[in-house]
Amino acid sequence: MGFLAPWFLAGIAAVGLPIWIHLLKKHRSDPRLFPSLMLFEKHEQSSVKHRRLDYILLFALRAAMLILLALLFANPFIRRAIPLSQQKHLTVVAVDNSFSMRADDRLQHAKDEALKVLSNLKPGDQVQVVALGSQVQALTQPTTDIAEARAAVASIQPSDGRASFGELSRYTRTLSESVKLPIELHLASDFQKSAMPPGFADLRLAPGTTLAAHQVGQAAPNWTVESVVAPRRVYDPKKVRIQAVVAGFGTPAAKRTVSLMLNGKVLGTKTMDVGENGRAQAEFLGLDAPYGFSRGEVRIDSADTLPADDHFIFAVERIDPRKVLFVDDGRRPRAELYYKAALDASPDAAFQLESLRPEQAANVKLSNYAVVVLSDLASMPAGFEDSLTRYVSGGGAVLVALGPGSVAMPRVPVLGEPIQASSYAGREGERFLSVSEVDTGHPVMRSTNRFDGVKFYQVIRVTPSKSTVLAKLDDGTPLVLERQIGEGKVLAFASTFDNSANDLPLHAAWVPFVQQSAAYLSGGGAEQPVNLTVDSYVELRSADSKGAAAEVLGPDGTRLLSLEEAASAKNFAVRKEGFFELKTASSRSSLIAVHADRRESDLSVMPPETLDLWKATGGDESETGASSTGDQQDKKPAGLWPWLLLVLLGVAVAESVVANRYLRPPAEEARSKRKEAA
Amino acid sequence: MLQRYLDPSVLAGISGLDLVAKTVVDGFIAGLHRSPDFGFSQEFAEYRAYTPGDDLRHVDWNVYARTEKAFLKRYRGETNSQLTILLDASRSMKFTSHKIEKLDYAKFLAASLAYLANTQRDAAGLIVFDDEVRNYVRASSRQGQLARLLHAINSATVGTRTNFEHPFLTLQEFLRRRGVVCAISDFWEEPEKIVQTVQPLRYRGNELILFHVLDPEEIHPKLRGPVLLEDLETGEAMEVSPDYAHHEYRQKMDAHIEDLKTRSKAAGIDYFLIDTSRPLDAALREYLAIRKGKM
Repeated sequence: MGFLAPWFLAGIAAVGLPIWIHLLKKHRSDPRLFPSLMLFEKHEQSSVKHRRLDYILLFALRAAMLILLALLFANPFIRRAIPLSQQKHLTVVAVDNSFSMRADDRLQHAKDEALKVLSNLKPGDQVQVVALGSQVQALTQPTTDIAEARAAVASIQPSDGRASFGELSRYTRTLSESVKLPIELHLASDFQKSAMPPGFADLRLAPGTTLAAHQVGQAAPNWTVESVVAPRRVYDPKKVRIQAVVAGFGTPAAKRTVSLMLNGKVLGTKTMDVGENGRAQAEFLGLDAPYGFSRGEVRIDSADTLPADDHFIFAVERIDPRKVLFVDDGRRPRAELYYKAALDASPDAAFQLESLRPEQAANVKLSNYAVVVLSDLASMPAGFEDSLTRYVSGGGAVLVALGPGSVAMPRVPVLGEPIQASSYAGREGERFLSVSEVDTGHPVMRSTNRFDGVKFYQVIRVTPSKSTVLAKLDDGTPLVLERQIGEGKVLAFASTFDNSANDLPLHAAWVPFVQQSAAYLSGGGAEQPVNLTVDSYVELRSADSKGAAAEVLGPDGTRLLSLEEAASAKNFAVRKEGFFELKTASSRSSLIAVHADRRESDLSVMPPETLDLWKATGGDESETGASSTGDQQDKKPAGLWPWLLLVLLGVAVAESVVANRYLRPPAEEARSKRKEAA
Repeated sequence: MLQRYLDPSVLAGISGLDLVAKTVVDGFIAGLHRSPDFGFSQEFAEYRAYTPGDDLRHVDWNVYARTEKAFLKRYRGETNSQLTILLDASRSMKFTSHKIEKLDYAKFLAASLAYLANTQRDAAGLIVFDDEVRNYVRASSRQGQLARLLHAINSATVGTRTNFEHPFLTLQEFLRRRGVVCAISDFWEEPEKIVQTVQPLRYRGNELILFHVLDPEEIHPKLRGPVLLEDLETGEAMEVSPDYAHHEYRQKMDAHIEDLKTRSKAAGIDYFLIDTSRPLDAALREYLAIRKGKM
């Protein structure tokens, strides 16, 4: 028994009122004067006592009225057991079709269990079938059509998603609120431990929800290729390094053979020792990939129950190194030297530097270059800046290094910002400038360690009006500026690339700065990864991209976007394993490898006590046995207020009768009164 | 119509006791069909045989001369009555359940009797008592007697408890002439004791009238709940339930009244129960009826 509003029980204290009236007040009554008590006798006290007994009855009735009133407001209820078979409820049949259900024939067993549940339903019972993958997919609406539910169960196919019991609990909570019915949840699953949410509270079922667990499959040893590290682009096949991690879950120590395949062709095989429940790493050097996109795969021989995770796919793109045009008027030969050395330090060797004089550069086709670097030019040949501007607007990129020569120009080439003056600092003592503010979130500045320790002796003051400042010196002078022009970008460095105006080329920050700026300028921004897990999202267009259609081809070559999605969708979720060919709205094509979440490879099962705790979250009385549906009971709160109201009415009538009997004037007096009145 | 002037609640609104008495008596007499002015006419009333002890001055000697038998001649206007009013001023007389106290009612009654006696040239006296004689006005028919009586009646206040024995013994000493004795009291005493106390007066040839003045609440108490009743005279308290007051007490009260009435009649004493909520005329009528019988 419980009370919905227990605070109203404090009203029982009002019982003190009749106590005061019947006891205290009686004893404190003032004596009434009477001429003589000659005709009253002592033994008549017994009559008074008898009357007191009668008054106690009145008192008891009044006290009972107050208590009942307080109880009514407190709204008591009892939990009454109602067999589930007798009460209206919704049966939700959930079938786990996550990636781990591909082990053995677990999915088929789960579907069989679901069909058993459906066969136990009576005509008129409401049922809904859902599939539990990376998200809960309702295959039917709540229906009484058992045949429809059977068809829905039969249609469930294995997925590559990762199951989440927390998501299932959230779904049942939402469903319970919408249908306003108790829910009997039947879950046919392998109850993977890894499908548990981070917090147990997320497993909470709605009140009145019972969980019947239908366990399929047991914990089994499983090997998997857990991860593969491969470059997304291959510039020099000989320099490529592929690293693969092989992991065992519940496995004994064993030797595993790891193979590297590219476009279906085995490039290398290695045998390694994997410890008990351990991991081992295999490394392949060199990847003889053809130009264009290639489909790579690392495969192991495991012969376990889940062969689907014995391979790991990845995508690479073979391209030539991109050319960088370094324009220098010959006054600063060391600038080219330092810049080239920094570019060549990249293991990918993604860039090839070509140095030209300004008058030569004005005659070349700029679109052949990924990036054009202007190193402290004192003057620009006629038409060169215009061609540079057109080149940037069409998607090109320019990096401008300013120096003493640039002071002669009124504006920064291409960037367009006015040059104020040159700022000098002495080489002696502390007379130099340091970097004080850096936008470390920007791809260009990410690994530069905030230019720590770099001394700037001479910088060119530029007033930024349309540009974004990425780094500032401690006197507030902008050091690195960026501006988007059309489809391309311009980056300006307010000092030279040699060690005359600063000592940046002598510091560790120089190489990442050069490489990141070159990659950023040539790549057009941060590129999205090409090796993803199932249920990841790929970006089809940026927020301001319009017009061009995007395209996604699935692993089987089918187009996955509708016309509307192709024209407007910004993202696309990859729901299964395989290679997806992606063409974004900016006409950039890529090959994306999607693999299942490797947490699904851990086939260990949720502890029984955890499962019991989960079941207990559905209500106080949800002690349901696994897969026993016949004699399940649910205890529903039943309000007692109608009965209390009836009793209160009865007591009120009794109180009226008793009180009237005591307090009514005798009949003969009433008669004499009437007579006198007449 | 005139009877409403005799209503006690109306009389209570009249300030002077003499005016009250005049209002009562005049109003009462005006309502009678025959003038009861017994004492003012010289109309022959009756002959009565001489008995030893009768005053020889009242013997009709003419009749004796003719018949040689002595007869006393009596007239209507002749009065030889002496009215003595015994007014109980004990504490219990202070009780009331409505507008007028029992003592006030008794005062109205006493004043009316005194006024009536005065108009009939009867000698009238007064004894106010509780457990002692508190005030005594010798019976007389002299000029100014009424004023003295009314003053004595008016100044009577409640005393202590009632004790009939002592005042009545005293009264026996004062009463030299035969007459009418009106005792106005609530008689909260055992009927046997009351009658035993007053009976000696009757032996002396006095006419004795007991005016039993009771408040209606005393006769039929109305209690809405159990109450603690306190005796006005003794101070004793007792808790009484309505049920007892409505049944057993009434039976006892009726028995008490009946017992007093029966014993009074047996002793040749007139008994008259007066409810203070009722007009005074019934009491006056009783007095006059007895007064008439004395002529």
